[in-house]
Amino acid sequence: MNRLGSASARATSWAASLGSLGLPRGLSRDLSGSSGQAGPVGRVPRGGVPTAVVLVAGVLIVLVYGQQYTGSVFVLSACYAIVTAGMAVQIGFSQQIAFSQSVFMGVGAYGVAMLNTHFNMSVLVATPVVIVGAALAALLLGSVVTRASGLALAVATLMLPLIAVGYVSASGYLGGAVGAPLTGTLWPSSASSTAVATVGGGLIVVVLLALVVFIAARILSSDIGLELFVLGVDERTAAALGVRTPRRKLELFVLGCVFAALGGAVYAGTQQFVPETLVDPTAELALLIMLFIGGRRSVIGAVIGALVIQYLQGASNWVSVNILVVEGLLLTVVLLVDPEGLAGIVTTGVAWLRRKAAGDGEAVAAGTGAVAGVPGGLPDLSLSSVLADGGTAAKPAGPGQPGGTPLLEVRGVYKEYGGLSVLDDVTISLPERGLFALCGPNGAGKSTLLNVIGGSVPPSAGEVVLSGTDITRRPPHQRFYQGISRTFQAVHLIKGRTVLDNVAVACLASHNSSIVTRIGRSRLDAAREKAARTLAGLGMAQLADREVSSLTLETQRMVELARALAPSPRLLLLDEPASGLSEEQRQRLAALLTTLAERTCVLLVEHDLALVAQVSERIFVLSGGRLVFEGGPADFRSSPVVNSLLVGS
Amino acid sequence: MKFGNLLIAGITTGSIYAMFAVCVAVWYRVSNILNLAVGDFAMVGALGVDNLYRVKGLPLPVAIITTLAVVAVFAYAYDQVVLRIAQDGPRRMEGIVVTFFFTFALSFFIDGVAKMLFGTDVHAAPALWNGASLTLGSLNFERAGILVLACAVIIGGAFWLYIRFTLAGKALEASGENSVGARIVGIDTRQYRRLIFVATAVIAAVFGIIESPITGYTYLSGATISLTGFIAAAYGGFRKPGRALLAGLFIGVLEALLGGYVSAEYGDTVMYALLAALILAWPQGLGFESAVSG
Repeated sequence: MNRLGSASARATSWAASLGSLGLPRGLSRDLSGSSGQAGPVGRVPRGGVPTAVVLVAGVLIVLVYGQQYTGSVFVLSACYAIVTAGMAVQIGFSQQIAFSQSVFMGVGAYGVAMLNTHFNMSVLVATPVVIVGAALAALLLGSVVTRASGLALAVATLMLPLIAVGYVSASGYLGGAVGAPLTGTLWPSSASSTAVATVGGGLIVVVLLALVVFIAARILSSDIGLELFVLGVDERTAAALGVRTPRRKLELFVLGCVFAALGGAVYAGTQQFVPETLVDPTAELALLIMLFIGGRRSVIGAVIGALVIQYLQGASNWVSVNILVVEGLLLTVVLLVDPEGLAGIVTTGVAWLRRKAAGDGEAVAAGTGAVAGVPGGLPDLSLSSVLADGGTAAKPAGPGQPGGTPLLEVRGVYKEYGGLSVLDDVTISLPERGLFALCGPNGAGKSTLLNVIGGSVPPSAGEVVLSGTDITRRPPHQRFYQGISRTFQAVHLIKGRTVLDNVAVACLASHNSSIVTRIGRSRLDAAREKAARTLAGLGMAQLADREVSSLTLETQRMVELARALAPSPRLLLLDEPASGLSEEQRQRLAALLTTLAERTCVLLVEHDLALVAQVSERIFVLSGGRLVFEGGPADFRSSPVVNSLLVGS
Repeated sequence: MKFGNLLIAGITTGSIYAMFAVCVAVWYRVSNILNLAVGDFAMVGALGVDNLYRVKGLPLPVAIITTLAVVAVFAYAYDQVVLRIAQDGPRRMEGIVVTFFFTFALSFFIDGVAKMLFGTDVHAAPALWNGASLTLGSLNFERAGILVLACAVIIGGAFWLYIRFTLAGKALEASGENSVGARIVGIDTRQYRRLIFVATAVIAAVFGIIESPITGYTYLSGATISLTGFIAAAYGGFRKPGRALLAGLFIGVLEALLGGYVSAEYGDTVMYALLAALILAWPQGLGFESAVSG
């Protein structure tokens, strides 16, 4: 434990010195852009800074300008900001592009208007009623729609505004093309003067906006925020790392819809009128412009985007007359300067100023640090005296069955793609520990078999059994919990995040928690600690705060391996871990794999026959989807089948 | 003969959708960018010709050639300035920002400029082939519709021949299949991105000019056209012009039949619901998965 403690202390001190070096672009953005805190802020609660800024600035503006035109434009933009803050979580951060915001803004606004005019309900009471209704509707709609991914999700939800506007404009009950007026205001007391009602309503909107910013910022800075980030980068990787992607996608959809409905409800309450154009598809486009100008991944950026666009539209001069030209130019220029929008520009600027202000002393310290640490290369992969001590990645494999049932059994697996047979009656069995290799010419079905075991590809027939349990129908994230961990043929690291976070992704304990719980506490620190221990165990602690795309290929592969090892898997699937590595690097990898195999089961897909024969206990050879050879390294070297297939005549 | 006439109307609008879908799909193959401004070029074609011919009093051929030239030069300049910085510079942008948002901003920009130049009223380019609609038995053929179909066949066919039989077409296909690979074997994918962008902008403008007498355009019409083209391209799997063409025709016919038999008011609403259901039921079949990962 002492050793671990000192290792993690070293990691922390490294983190500090790397921090003073000037954080890589992606990281610094991640720290200040998405949550507005983390880093050195210390005791300020997560999400506290952006919330306080919004609350204080908003209240001041409403109190000072409340009854003037500026004030009314500000309150209107705050209504939109409630919507765009949700979009920052759903569309920007998690990249689940669903065009449902304008529709649910309409649900909120029309819901409140109808309850107010037809049922005489006060706006303040109607708002929560409508929100609950919208949440239920979003849950229903989302459970259908979020089965689609990527562009399919975008196109399917693109129909929603088109359907909605068709319905609203033809519906007499909702006021059709004329719109729906409200009798009540958001401020509850009907006796109070218009001035009080206007300012009071504005204050309620600001408080709700601050609440929304708080919730969004806390979710993004939590361990689930890290899950969402991975989901946004690549859904398949996220599933392989244990993220319950269908659930998260549904939660994100509902969150986006609820925030949109809230924005719509307070819009109706403060404007006292719901125009048909609120649900027009162009309203959806306007919301997207606000989000992307402000900064898609940043909650504060999304709020700023809504402010800027509404301010320009309300300016009543050349700009507001030609708002389309201005929006088009602004969006183009901002995205060309920084794809992360205004928030990205500000973050980069602040980081630059900070570096500038930090001056020479820091530079000297950083210089000495760099010499000592040999950044970029791996110091040595003596691998983990720590691992050998059974400290981190190595817990005794599985709860028992010594010698009895094999760890993994693949029984008679077939896989066909449109009549083309990729796997043809493949049966293999692996014990609790050891190093095994899967070879074969290109297109033999090696990666497909790995995908069948990992769960991302369902077999056409046959069974996959882990420790006696049939897992054939289990999704990838459940197999991850049961101890199957994998790497991919092409490196699948999460760009824009640090090495530490990339490894922490595999250590999250949040998979079974609802997104809502992360408004409370986050266990991101625990996951990062575990990740730091794994990195220290592999002698990679000094890399913890590097952004992954700045690393060499070997180091990236090592980070991926560390990520696969971090959850202490029982079965480790490695897809061509040596491809692209030099001979020397391969030897280091071989040593590492041999050590690993002493306590866990490793299945390796590899083209390098020398490496395979050197390290493997048993070797499987696939050809045309059939298992054509199975045996030890000696047989492997002498087998005529292997020679004709792999070495060539 | 209601069905026959609906079918004719459907095929006519469908062929327009199909052409825009093909424009979106062909350029997406080369550039990995969805052109959400394609309809705005059509709008500029229609309103530009109308403005030069009716307001400025230029002869019709001059008005048409000038408009198309302006569209081509603008598209070229846009590629040279914006897309070059975004795609060819030292920090090449990736992901949804590039895929959607640059052309999205372009669409807003063009609409805004059109509003300044052409105002907000409904206008159309003058009909190129005047006269009453032709009849065959009880079937009605609008002359503008025949023109649209003829142009769709000619331009679509020329496109197909170009891709199928010329070296440039093969190179184009290669840069769509694998842009890095294409660059390695010496194909300048940037050149094709520019070429196809300008070509599709001009083609869109041509269709705007010949179609506008049927429906009439305002400065905001472009967004609707782009949307339909985008949806049809989506059902063609984004990368497959042939399937995009069929999807465009299918959507046009579906729209006409639903409008004629189900409800004139709610026909479009029903159609969009059907289209959404189709994606959710069958995403792989429509080629979305390959469009996302490939």
